[in-house]
Formats: sequence, structure tokens, C-alpha cells
Amino acid sequence: MNKLKTNATVFIQPLLAVIVGLLVGTIAIMLSGESVIVTYQEMWDGAFGNLYFLTNTLERAIPIILAGLGVAFAFRAGFFNLGAEGQLVMGAVTTAIVTVYLPFQGLLNMVISIIAGMLIAGLYSFLAGWMEQRFQINLLISTLLLNYIAVLFAGYLVSEPFRDTSSAGGVPQTVMVDEASRLPKLLTGMNLHYGFVIAIILAIVIAFIMKRTTFGYEVRMLGQNVFFAQYGGINRKKIMFTSLLISGMLAGLAGSVEVLGIHYRFIEGALSNPQFAWTGLMAALLANSNPIGTTVVAIFLAALDTGSLGVERNTDVPNSISGIIQAVLILFISAKFTMNFLNQRKKEGK
Amino acid sequence: MESLFDLSLINSTLRMMAPLLLAGLGGAICSRVGVFNVGLDGLMLMGAFLGVAANAYTHNVWLAILIAVIGTTIFSALYAYMTINLQANMIVTGIAINFLSIGITTFALRTIFDVQGAYYNNEMQGLPTWEIPVIDQIPLLGNLLSGQSPIVYLGILCTIVMYFFFKKSVAGSHFDAVGINPIAAKSQGIKVKRIQYQAVLISGVLCALAGAQLSLGQVTMFSENMTAGRGFIALVATMLGQSNPIGVFLSSGLFGFTEAISIRLQGLNVPTNFTLMLPYVITILAMFIFKDKTQLSALKNSAGSSR
Repeated sequence: MNKLKTNATVFIQPLLAVIVGLLVGTIAIMLSGESVIVTYQEMWDGAFGNLYFLTNTLERAIPIILAGLGVAFAFRAGFFNLGAEGQLVMGAVTTAIVTVYLPFQGLLNMVISIIAGMLIAGLYSFLAGWMEQRFQINLLISTLLLNYIAVLFAGYLVSEPFRDTSSAGGVPQTVMVDEASRLPKLLTGMNLHYGFVIAIILAIVIAFIMKRTTFGYEVRMLGQNVFFAQYGGINRKKIMFTSLLISGMLAGLAGSVEVLGIHYRFIEGALSNPQFAWTGLMAALLANSNPIGTTVVAIFLAALDTGSLGVERNTDVPNSISGIIQAVLILFISAKFTMNFLNQRKKEGK
Repeated sequence: MESLFDLSLINSTLRMMAPLLLAGLGGAICSRVGVFNVGLDGLMLMGAFLGVAANAYTHNVWLAILIAVIGTTIFSALYAYMTINLQANMIVTGIAINFLSIGITTFALRTIFDVQGAYYNNEMQGLPTWEIPVIDQIPLLGNLLSGQSPIVYLGILCTIVMYFFFKKSVAGSHFDAVGINPIAAKSQGIKVKRIQYQAVLISGVLCALAGAQLSLGQVTMFSENMTAGRGFIALVATMLGQSNPIGVFLSSGLFGFTEAISIRLQGLNVPTNFTLMLPYVITILAMFIFKDKTQLSALKNSAGSSR
């Protein structure tokens, strides 16, 4: 019974936040002088209107889910990984370069280039963990700073040594991925690719690891109470390094599947400008680091993004409306007052 | 090498460091009272936007700055309310504030000015540069210090004022007491929440000035997300400077210097991306040397509210 109750409050809090977010969105729409109903209708259509838009939304959710899972994993162990963006970019650029230089194409190429991307991204995240463990360099700061370095470094790689010189000018980008080494589409004619399947499987696997394995138990213990965990014989250092490594690998995978599944190359800024990593971070926080919850919220946030693109196409409301709604959402979810508010109501009800 | 280092480099360092210094001082006063303000970037962006928007309507740069300060302070009150009253996680709230600021400013840019990317208007008047009467006449020093925007001088003034505020004043020691141990401070009759509010609101004022220096001092325009992470650099300056005004001055000076250098290096054969990386790399290296205790306690506070 108690469990049921906590489950209910877990869902009610995000729901309240969603309502408030949409309310603020309503105000913004009214300020820009458009009809609220028409705008939200366009938003819905842009996100779920037909099969094409629905699959587009799911496609956009892929990097958000994976980055979110990565953040959630580290967060479960009690580590705030703000470096998902840098890890994502590192993974993407590594994959884009490795796939082009491998002497063979096809499935093996795909697997190797993805693993290479994940490894580099994982090590990049590990580096921050090592600096904290060894030199007490704050993880929040180091992961944050490493983002800028990664984005700039990747930008250098694609604008100098690995630039696709066949097309003169334009945005720096790498050479196209061979057709045989691309992630296949789930449905012909749609953007949705097999990265989505990978993301869903990983969400389930991580949920299983967290719930059913000793390692998952240790991770959760460490996240809940460092002292208790250490008293119970859990090796903080080991858990920290592995959870940060896995966290970075997941964020890197987000970048890798974007490269092999949709862009077919690394384009400077194409992965950092849409703020996939930060949206993933929000998804993880909104879902309280629950892997399945993170996936659901990531799809919801992706729907806000694609929906607002639809809004921009068909009305005068700019697509930054989704940014406003998302920010309000996270503000409200992070505040404890919705919870307190509910508790108070319950007490009064009694 | 001679073209790389000359006297005007110090002049441009001062210009580059001013936004970082002001926002960094804002971060410092917050961390002194135990608030880890990750929202500096969003506050700066808001100040930059309001400065340009108000300037476009009022055609008066001073009025524009006043409006930017008032607006950003109100915006920072949202952060204060969320973190202090509602006990929301400081880091999450700060990131959300940054997102909200990007969202609101780009949204407003499109709905008010009907432009995408950047707003520029020939009629807009930027901040004037001030020649300081006496110093101007001194041969070397005049070249170094004179001819900056008023906000640059204000930044230096703020550093000195804040230094003496913490060093000498009773109110300053109350601020520190709240940061070191809020419960003990409360037992001594210090109004903890009020002081934390004051600190966040002051950081709002300082960030507004920092933003205005970006959009009205260095250039006279606003572009989407024009702070480009400078608020985070300011945050790092806060930490490097151990939340001490003089320390913040020196560390933001370091960043201003690397920024000024990186602009010069672009003329040489060094890839731009590497020169742009410099401030971040130097920061990480500097963190190996400096360890900040104040910031750690502010962080501990924030970690306490993360679950």
C-alpha cells in the first residue's frame, strides 16, 4: 500500500510540473498574439500528427534517451555528470572518423566504430572522475569545462585534419559514412533508425542491472549514503570509476548513433547546438534517474522539440517556446514544494 | 612575438575581463553565503538582452542599463525563491535558469524584434568610453587604463568595495557567518534567508552589468545565446579566486588575458579552436594548484538538497 502511494506521488509531481509548464507556454503564446488552441494543436500535430512526425519525434528522442541514461547512471551513484555534452561529441567524432578509415564496410565496421566512440567518450568521463579522486578537482566543474574542450577539439578535428574537402566552404564536416556501414532505418522512408531499438534495450538492461544485480545495489547504496555504503564495504573508488565510465559510454553512444543513423557524418555544431545532452540531463532529473522513466520523459521532451518545430512552421510563434516550457518544467520539478504541497493537502484531507 | 605582447594587450585584457569579473563577484558573494549559483550565465544573458531591448526603445544607454539591472534582479529573485524558500537543488535550478533565459531571450527576440539570430540597430547607442582626467595624462598608465567603458571601472570599484565589505563591515561578517554555518548564524539572531536573498539579488545586479558590458560595451547588439558560456567561466573564476574579491579579480584577469591573447593568436598560424580552448585548459590546470574551501562548503550545501 505504501509502495503504491509513493509510486503515485512519483508520477503526480512530474504531472503537475507539466501542467505548469504548459500554462507558462500558454502565456508565451498569448504574448506573441497567436491562438493558444491552434498553437497547441500544431504542436501536437508536429510531434505526433502522422506516422512521419511520430517517427521523427522518436528519432529525436534517441540521443536524449541515451545521454539521459548516462547521466542517470552516474546520478544514481551520487555523481553529477555535467559533461554529457562533451562525451556525446567525443563519441560522435570518434565514430565518424573511425568508420571512414576502417578498410572494410558493413556490420563489423558499424560495431567497431560505435565501440570506439563509446570507449573514447567513456574515458573522457573517466578522466574527470580520476581528477576528482586523485586531485580533489570538483567533478561538476571539470565535467563542465571538459564540454567546451571537447566541442572545440572536435571542431578542430573536422575543420583541419579530417575535413571533407570535396565540398568547398560551408560548415566543417567529415567525409560521408559508407552506405553499408550506416544504421538501417526501422521503416522505409522514415527517419527513425535502429538506434531507437538500441536505446530501448539499453534502458531495460540498465533498469535490470539497477534492480537485480549486486553491482546495481552497490551503485544505489553509494548514491543514497556514502558513509553507510563505505561502512558496508562498498569500494567508492571502484563504483565511481565504473559508473562514470558507463555514464560516459552511454553519452558517447548517443553521439555515435546520431552519426551513423541520421547525419552520416560529423558536422560541427550539429550535436551540441540542439542541446541533446542537456535535454537528456533534464530527462534524467525529471524521472528521478529511473531508466524507464528517463526514456519516457526523453520522448516527451523530444516531442516538445519536434512539436515546437511544427509550431514554427505553421504559426508566428518561435520554436524557442519549447525551451521555455522545458525550463519551467525542470524548475518546478526540482522544487520540493509540489511535494510539500501535496503532503499538506493530504494532512488537511484527513 | 612583439606583435603578440604589447601595452594595448593590457587594455584589451581589462575590457575582456570586465564581464567575467562582475559576474564572478556575483558568484563570490553567493558562495560566501552558501549559495552555489550556476545561473550566472542565464542572468548575464538576461542582462545583455534587456540592455539592448531597453536601448532600442528608450534610445538612452543609461536608462537601458538601469532597466537591465532591475529586470535581471527580478529574474534572479526567481532563482532565490526556488533555492532558498523551496529548497530546490541549486545546480539543477541554476541550469534551468540558464535554459529559461535562453528560451525567453530568443523568444522575445523573435516576437518583439522579429529577427532571428541577432538584433542590431544603427540608432542604438553603445556605452561611451571614458578618459579618466588625471590618469589620462600619465604617459604609460594613461594608455593602459584609460578609454574603457564605465562598466569596466565599475567592476574594479566593485572589487574594492566588496573587499572592504567582507574585511571590515559587520554586515560582511554576517554574510560569512551564514556561509560557514547557517544554523549557528541563525541562533545568533542573523536572518539567514534574508541575507541569502540579498546575496542572490546582488549577484543579479552584477550579472546584469556584466551582460550589459557584453551587449552594449564590447559591441552594440544582441545575438542568441551571446554569453556563450561566459557565466560558467565566471563561476570558475569565483572558485579559482576562492570567493575572495581580490582572488576573483586576479582569476578573471587571467581569463581576460587568455581571451585577449587568443584573439591575437588568430592572426598567427594557430588554429582558432585551440586558442579558444585556452581559458578552459588553463582553468583545469589552475584547479590542480588552487583548492577552494569556501566553494566546497557551498557545494556540500547544494549536494544536501539534491535528494
